[in-house]
Amino acid sequence: MATRDKLARERTEEYLAEHPADTEALISVRGLKKYYNKGVIKALDGVDVDIHKGEVVVIIGPSGGGKSTLLRSLNLLEEPTEGAVFFEGVDITRKKDDEGKKIDINTVRQKMGMVFQQFNLFPHKTVIENMILAPVQLGRLKEADARAKAQALLERVGLGDRADAYPIQLSGGQQQRVAIVRALCMDPDVMLFDEPTSALDPEMVGEVLDVMKQLALEGMTMAVVTHEMHFAREVGSRILFLADGKLVEQGKPDEIFSNPQSERLKDFLSKVLI
Amino acid sequence: MITAEKFAAALGYWQLFLEGTLCTVVLSALAVLFGFIIALLLALMRMGKVAPLRWLATAYVELFRATPMVVQVWIVYFLSRELLDLPNFLLFGMIRFERFLPGVIALSLNSGAYLCEIIRSGIGSIPIGQTEAARSLGLPAGKTMRLVILPQAMKNILPALANEFVTIIKESAITYVIGVQDIMSAANSVKGATYSTLEGLIIAAVLYFCLCFPTSKIIAHFERKMSRGYKR
Ligand SMILES: Nc1ncnc2c1ncn2[C@@H]1O[C@H](COP(=O)(O)OP(=O)(O)O)[C@@H](O)[C@H]1O
Ligand SMILES: [Mg+2]
Repeated sequence: MATRDKLARERTEEYLAEHPADTEALISVRGLKKYYNKGVIKALDGVDVDIHKGEVVVIIGPSGGGKSTLLRSLNLLEEPTEGAVFFEGVDITRKKDDEGKKIDINTVRQKMGMVFQQFNLFPHKTVIENMILAPVQLGRLKEADARAKAQALLERVGLGDRADAYPIQLSGGQQQRVAIVRALCMDPDVMLFDEPTSALDPEMVGEVLDVMKQLALEGMTMAVVTHEMHFAREVGSRILFLADGKLVEQGKPDEIFSNPQSERLKDFLSKVLI
Repeated sequence: MITAEKFAAALGYWQLFLEGTLCTVVLSALAVLFGFIIALLLALMRMGKVAPLRWLATAYVELFRATPMVVQVWIVYFLSRELLDLPNFLLFGMIRFERFLPGVIALSLNSGAYLCEIIRSGIGSIPIGQTEAARSLGLPAGKTMRLVILPQAMKNILPALANEFVTIIKESAITYVIGVQDIMSAANSVKGATYSTLEGLIIAAVLYFCLCFPTSKIIAHFERKMSRGYKR
């Protein structure tokens, strides 16, 4: 096990020598691979991606193409088999940085908000308790300040009167909006969304997309996995098309949707754009 | 034969039975309390990343589940006599501490093994998304377990914990062999003093039943109530 990790590290270093990370980017991914079942399943098979401050990067592609795996690798919820993820210039897949200082993944994650398909609110806590848990527990805010901040965020997404409700008492759309502001309560530098509207009834998709759009307009850096092509086209500053664990094509929304290059993307778009 | 006279004789020792009942309840409550703490440690070890700790915890659980309680009780008793210099005083003015403590230890160790599996499945029943959400917010593994996972898992664990209390009340009867002055030991003393063997045992059975039956009914009631979700 240890030797396999060491080999993977060596290969990553070799790859980085030829394909250095973009130190200007907020997130820079190089040679990212994620294998399951001893390499039988290649969820990610060598991906290079840069995400710059203020960008809204939308990740599209067929189911099983590796979109979730890529997104979850950015905050190391998935541990890559090989490759590097740089966040603000530091390779967070390493144990120590160049000065020998230990890299604390928890500190990194505080700066990367994440929103899940299934909301994942804490059912034993009220809306506001959900929101203030991390900021208070991690010593970022005093409880009173955290409450004030959370309340203000709730007002902004139209849930000012639901602070003391339990998640089970909210609709799916409301829960997902809470999940978004819970992440925002940590003042993240980037927000990661993994199919945030896929578990919602159709009439609730809009309210969540509106919140995301608003966030994008305010300049939040975002990486969004979605099947909402209208959102991708309208809000995305760049589209990544991921299939079979590879980044097949990327570009501005217009290029991707109006002038796709690869057969794989053309085929995919013909199926999703009706 | 069971006779009214012998019953009367046995009941004449009611104070002994009362003290025995108190002893059984305190013994069982302490065993479940310490058993729960042991079980929590074992469960975290078994679910942790450190392989030797995982093996150790697994070995512990299997060992205690595959040996008779009476053997465990005797071993703990003799080990505690060899290793610990237990003070010889009366707890609550009636329970001999140097017999009581090994009883508590043996029952706790045993209970820990059984409760470990209950805690493990209680934690396992919480969706992985809860852990992921907490970790993605930057909460470390320990805080995630303590603040997010365990409070939810306790909802599943608590009824099982209460059931374990009932089980231990019954199983603790075995500790009379090392001289713990519980209900069973009271029946035994009465037998020696009055030859009311069956009568003493029947009184003991009634006492155990009166402790266990209502408790399990109360647990079942709360279990039904709690399964209704987090609405307040
Ligand atoms: N824990 C896992 N174990 C085995 N295979 C997995 C696991 N997670 C994902 N995969 C596989 O990796 C591939 C990519 O999955 P995923 O990133 O979820 O795709 P997408 O989000 O694009 O639908 C799929 O083939 C999936 O079955
Ligand atoms: Mg997915």
